[in-house]
Amino acid sequence: MERFFASLFKFDRDETTGEMIHFKLFELYMVYHIIWTVWYWGMYTLRISDVVLPLGIAQYIDITFMYGNSLPLVNAALISVLVFLTWFRLTPAWTYMLVLVLMHIQYVARYSLGEISHGAHMTAMTLFCFALGLLFFRSSKESRRFIMGAVFFFVGLSYVSAGVSKLIGTGPFWIDGRHLWLWMGEKGIDILSREGAFGNNWLQELAWTSRGMATLILLSGLLIELGGFLFWFERFRPHIATLTIGMHLGIMATMNIRFDASIAQLIVIGYPWALLFNYMLINREAVRTKTEHLLQKVI
Amino acid sequence: MEETPKTPLKRSVRIMLASLLVYGILVATHLGEFWPFSIFPMFSQAGNPWTRAMAMDVTGYTNDDVWTITIVDDLPGEHFSMRAHNVDQIDYANFVSKTRNWNPVRVQALRNMLGEHHLENRRVMIYKVRGELVNNDSVAVQATPMLLLAPDTSYFNPNLPHSFYFRD
Repeated sequence: MERFFASLFKFDRDETTGEMIHFKLFELYMVYHIIWTVWYWGMYTLRISDVVLPLGIAQYIDITFMYGNSLPLVNAALISVLVFLTWFRLTPAWTYMLVLVLMHIQYVARYSLGEISHGAHMTAMTLFCFALGLLFFRSSKESRRFIMGAVFFFVGLSYVSAGVSKLIGTGPFWIDGRHLWLWMGEKGIDILSREGAFGNNWLQELAWTSRGMATLILLSGLLIELGGFLFWFERFRPHIATLTIGMHLGIMATMNIRFDASIAQLIVIGYPWALLFNYMLINREAVRTKTEHLLQKVI
Repeated sequence: MEETPKTPLKRSVRIMLASLLVYGILVATHLGEFWPFSIFPMFSQAGNPWTRAMAMDVTGYTNDDVWTITIVDDLPGEHFSMRAHNVDQIDYANFVSKTRNWNPVRVQALRNMLGEHHLENRRVMIYKVRGELVNNDSVAVQATPMLLLAPDTSYFNPNLPHSFYFRD
């Protein structure tokens, strides 16, 4: 097991400048998405007045104290200030953990009406990894190594867990194309109600007319989810990231469910951006010349 | 007192194992969901019938016209688009499909969700829409009118039994 974690965290490898730039940009993306999310949730919570399905800590405390006042916006403002300051490391080491708790309250206040949203889970698990890394490691290099390894681990685990849940919940016949028909019908009603109109796209038409094609779509989705553990291995990461992004785009096309945040984060963490940054730093002059040459062509 | 692991790797392994333990306990005791921890069970149970919700603006229609269970293509009135009225469709559908007791507080909460100002001078019908697999080769969808929201009051469907609205 220690060998596995050694290859995941790579504490013994020297850290490059490109890796440090990538890490800080990744954190910036997380901070941006946290701020966007908590304000989005906060604004919507202003319109909620009753709890249908209490989630998380709302099962133990009455979350209605967040309704009928501006507390959701106050909480959003507090979270925004805290993550902004923590990006600059101007706050105590436990600040990201506090933000996670405040964000949990924001989430359970917003999602009390029956929907269990997974739209910000990847960002929140990333926040959890940052919180652990800053809390338990004094050295900033060790902290960065831990955070990146933990993020890869939990991202991979989430996809594997989703795949295993399907096998436990339904069994191997989960991939039956008729199940996709049911879900397409369900999401079609959601779109009709949301937009006032709905029409099938070419992929949906294909799935409706061919049970075999619908089965193939579900099979490929299940296999990609079960292959999520490949995120744990640097060599396979770009490949599984590409397949997973493709799966999300496929779900968007067939079932009209968007995964913008997941796709964005997979792009940020799934590819060897550090190598690109290193290349640009080492070959600054060459990159500048090439860029100028390219610009002269297009301007 | 136990010594803190000295190498970052050993410390990381301990932190990860402790995190997984907390993760496991929280999801195991909260039906698979304790944000941000989750087993990601979405779409894990395939093949079951589903229930969603729609709304139609039925202003100008008489009560005789609007209380019939029908297919979605035959619904009377104009679509009351959730996006146009700044309502989250998923919230709306879950609110309608998961509410077990339509007491006055719950009915008012639905009116608040749709926006009381959007109900001025119009009548909006709330539909429960159910889909299921039939004959093993197609999906049948049926819409049940369940709640008529008028400017000053709300009406239950007189053709539906009391148990449809109060299940506990």
